[in-house]
Amino acid sequence: MSPPLLQVRDLTLSLPDRSRGGMFSKPPMVDILRGISLDLRAGHSLGIVGESGSGKTSLGRAIVRLYQPTSGQILFDGADITTLDEAAMRAHRRNMQMIFQDPQSSLNPRRRIGEIVAQPVLTLGLEQDRRAALKRADLALDRAGLGHAFARRYPHELSGGQRQRVGIARAIATEPRLIVADEIVSGLDVSTQAQILALLNDLKRDMGLSLVFISHDLSVVRVLADRVMVMLGGRVVEEGNTADVFQGPRNAYTRQLIDAVPLPVIDPDWLDSQPGTEGTRMVDIKGQTVLVTGTSRGIGKVFVDALLATGAAKVYAASRKGDGAHDDGRVVPVKLDVTSAADIAAAAGTCADTTVLINNAGINFNTKLLDTDQTDAAAAEMTTNYFGTLNMCRAFAPVIEGNGGGAIVNMASILARVNLPLMGSLCASKAAVYSMTQGIRAELATRGVAVFAVLPGAVDTDMTKDFPPPKAAPADIVAEVLAGMKAGEADIYPGDMAKGVSGGLAADRPAVIAEMAGYV
Amino acid sequence: MNPVLDIRDLRVSLRRGAHLVRDVSLSVDAGEVHGLVGESGAGKTMIARAVLGILPDAIRVTGGTVRFRGEDLLRLPPKRLRSLLGREIALIPQDPLTGLNPARRISAQMTDMLRHHLGQSRGEARVNALRLLQEVQIRDPEQVLDRYPHELSGGMRQRVLIAIAFSAEPSLIVADEPTTALDVTVQKQILRLIRQMQERHGTAVLFVTHDLGIVAKVCHRVTVLHTGQVVEQGGIADIMSAHATPFTRALMDATPRYDQPADALHPVPEHVHQELRAAARRFDEANP
Repeated sequence: MSPPLLQVRDLTLSLPDRSRGGMFSKPPMVDILRGISLDLRAGHSLGIVGESGSGKTSLGRAIVRLYQPTSGQILFDGADITTLDEAAMRAHRRNMQMIFQDPQSSLNPRRRIGEIVAQPVLTLGLEQDRRAALKRADLALDRAGLGHAFARRYPHELSGGQRQRVGIARAIATEPRLIVADEIVSGLDVSTQAQILALLNDLKRDMGLSLVFISHDLSVVRVLADRVMVMLGGRVVEEGNTADVFQGPRNAYTRQLIDAVPLPVIDPDWLDSQPGTEGTRMVDIKGQTVLVTGTSRGIGKVFVDALLATGAAKVYAASRKGDGAHDDGRVVPVKLDVTSAADIAAAAGTCADTTVLINNAGINFNTKLLDTDQTDAAAAEMTTNYFGTLNMCRAFAPVIEGNGGGAIVNMASILARVNLPLMGSLCASKAAVYSMTQGIRAELATRGVAVFAVLPGAVDTDMTKDFPPPKAAPADIVAEVLAGMKAGEADIYPGDMAKGVSGGLAADRPAVIAEMAGYV
Repeated sequence: MNPVLDIRDLRVSLRRGAHLVRDVSLSVDAGEVHGLVGESGAGKTMIARAVLGILPDAIRVTGGTVRFRGEDLLRLPPKRLRSLLGREIALIPQDPLTGLNPARRISAQMTDMLRHHLGQSRGEARVNALRLLQEVQIRDPEQVLDRYPHELSGGMRQRVLIAIAFSAEPSLIVADEPTTALDVTVQKQILRLIRQMQERHGTAVLFVTHDLGIVAKVCHRVTVLHTGQVVEQGGIADIMSAHATPFTRALMDATPRYDQPADALHPVPEHVHQELRAAARRFDEANP
């Protein structure tokens, strides 16, 4: 199979936030896109949907290199275009054209339509001769369904639909292989919109065009896109075949987005319905008071810094020794052994303003299930990992509920879904945590406390130094957990390994178990 | 029961003669949400503006009556009309930014209304403004009162405007595409809010929109317009049924749906537009 026409790899984009920063100080940078990857095959179309601020428009602009990405790669036909200089990029531009949202503002009012459409043909040097360029423009206007007679008119003489056809004609005049279309049917009446959508489908078929179609309107995307990507806060929360995603969304935010579209069908219950109420909803760390257990090392330690960076109001850094002192004044160290009922009761009193509880504390003795001399280790794993987490949930669910709602996050493991030799009892304890988390989610469904299960793969900490790669960086895991909470994903699978195992278990369970066993 | 709003044979024309609204009749009962639907140029905004007495200079009403609780708004003395607008008849505009004065705090804009129209004291007005903001589900109303419009999100601004619109307990609200500028998840919240407030206060609402999906979810009755003419009028169940007129059905077929594949989408056939344009021309010939 030939490589995809367009490949985006781990693309990030940061831009200065002009709404902040003083008159003389440099505005702070804000992350617009975070680790976006996508593939688009020749002749196919990809829809990008999201609400305002999701980053969908910025992604479109980065793909055609109107924005220079901060990191990551964009491969066109296998060649990295992020490193091309201006001259090389100019030669490449004919392959990728962008059509913008507002045809009115992107058409020069003083030039005739023919000249407007011929412009990129001349600037990109496809024709040296003005007459030849205008000829190409005539052809493009015919293809766009306007007819070349329009070449002599001016933009103000055209209707909104006709102006958008001019935008399309200008984009196809250079015979590109990829078109990025950003909200191009947004302002149009449905009768005009349906015609423009039909035109784009025809062009896609007849010219073998590939299309990146950006829109806030899911219904419009369904008409044009083979595959769809749902964006939230600069990340992709769900990606897949368009019909599949819209019929059976897996992500809570996608579900919420789909539910919010009013279909022309009478449904008296629709206005009052609230999607994603199986106990999970979107939780933003900003302004929350968070208690994290097991913060003396590993992921717990990383959590504290990430929570501070994400805007938590206060962080209770709990550990057995209570040694979580931090130079940020928002951190309050708490001495808390999750196996001690007295400690938990005391914490529920001293940390009574908690709104988010992250149950991270856990232990691992690497024991086999049938080793009779290791039964104490298995019991200890259950006591800390399972009962510790359960007792924390019991103590803090009413606290969080009383503070107006919030979230509980239980750190399980991908091992909850596949039991590995040499750590059988650990896996069993994690499976218990995962199962218990689902139960608690159901019990708290109507009480304003969102419950998340986190199932990471191997994480690169001092506890796993004997474990072979692939291991994910703790900071990446934590970032994905916070993003998953924000997106309202009930079960969060951070890291490629966790996603791979989870997907693999569904497709070919024996193969995954065999491969996982190879690691130990 | 007499309708709250009763529009009979309303004709709106450009000063140089061309008709924009061609003898439209419709009525809105108390507690009813009446959808005014059509594409751009269908005349829906002109009808709404005629009701509110805010037609542009070059456009005027050339026939018909607009009765509000029996009084013809088109023939009221300006003073009487001004006292009705805002107090008895309120507007929820399309763009929440233009509906608010950018230079004044929310508190000033809300209490003005309450003091001016309802004669409340400064203190009373502030208490009532807080209560209204709570009613439109704004979490920290104290803070919002002290903000300027640009400091609020689009959804928040629209909530404030809804609070202002309902503040004087009007009998009629004209909602002019009130969610067009909002994200879809916020749109749903705002639609829910308008319906809740409308049900709680028994308000009649004239709801202008181009979106048949919104019509299906929030309206009781509907008037479908094309070239300033009523194409169809009836209960929501009739409009959404297979018995609707060809134009309404064509509009439905041209509306993309995320739950249907691309081949279910059919642009409005040109002859459907042409027949309605021809009817408009016949009207113009008979009514020069």
